[in-house]
Amino acid sequence: MAKVYTGRDGRLLIDGTEQIKVSSWSLTGNLETLETTTLGDSQRTYTPGVQEFSGSASILYYNDGTGRNDAALALKKVLKIAGVSDGDTVDMRLRLVEGAINHDVRLAAYITSVSFGASVGEITRADISFQATGALTEVTI
Amino acid sequence: MAYPTYAPTGRSFSAGDYPYKTFQSQNGKEVRILYGDKRTGMTLDLSYDNIPDTQADDFVAHYDETKGGFSSFALPSAFRTGWSGSAAAIDAATGNQWRYQEPPTIKSVRPGISSVTVKLIGVL
Repeated sequence: MAKVYTGRDGRLLIDGTEQIKVSSWSLTGNLETLETTTLGDSQRTYTPGVQEFSGSASILYYNDGTGRNDAALALKKVLKIAGVSDGDTVDMRLRLVEGAINHDVRLAAYITSVSFGASVGEITRADISFQATGALTEVTI
Repeated sequence: MAYPTYAPTGRSFSAGDYPYKTFQSQNGKEVRILYGDKRTGMTLDLSYDNIPDTQADDFVAHYDETKGGFSSFALPSAFRTGWSGSAAAIDAATGNQWRYQEPPTIKSVRPGISSVTVKLIGVL
């Protein structure tokens, strides 16, 4: 059956927990290319270099009534007194659902920037950026 | 082994000069004495970017074979790849051969891939 994916199909899981009140996420993959063109060539040639993955997400700063606040947990990955250490990676799954089927990209990442604030007439949200470390651990898109 | 026959990704050639000395008198008059009829001291910088490590180590093997900058050698035509002018114009001029001016440098780019830089000088 034909399927057009929309924001309604999007999910974001951090450390195995599906985040509530996610308004957007995005992922960018890059491949560095190393030029191998030699003198005498008329067209440039390349060999693959290293890859990198990074992305961002926007999560509402929302308390579900039980004390759970996913945005706060993400913010605390950077906003912490003790500083960030090697072990402060998060297990991120960027997901599109299609019924019972999950289309995932999974990676270990550092939260590299967080931004949140409060404005009159606006909902407070946490905007986070992340940088993957190492290879993707799952790709089922 | 002979000098590796890979096409370089970059090449820079300087033509050298003839051996002469310049003497300048107090009134500014300049006198030059020519000591030889062969141009020498040409320099050639070759770069081989993003090549496999198995090719990069060939340059070190050749450097060993020439005992570093001690022995001189001729270059294979591959170093002129892409040059459509006279072959002799960017080679060691008559009577000259190349020797290493500096040790070849190998910069590791990623696993299995390196970039090599070679600096040569023409000597009689």
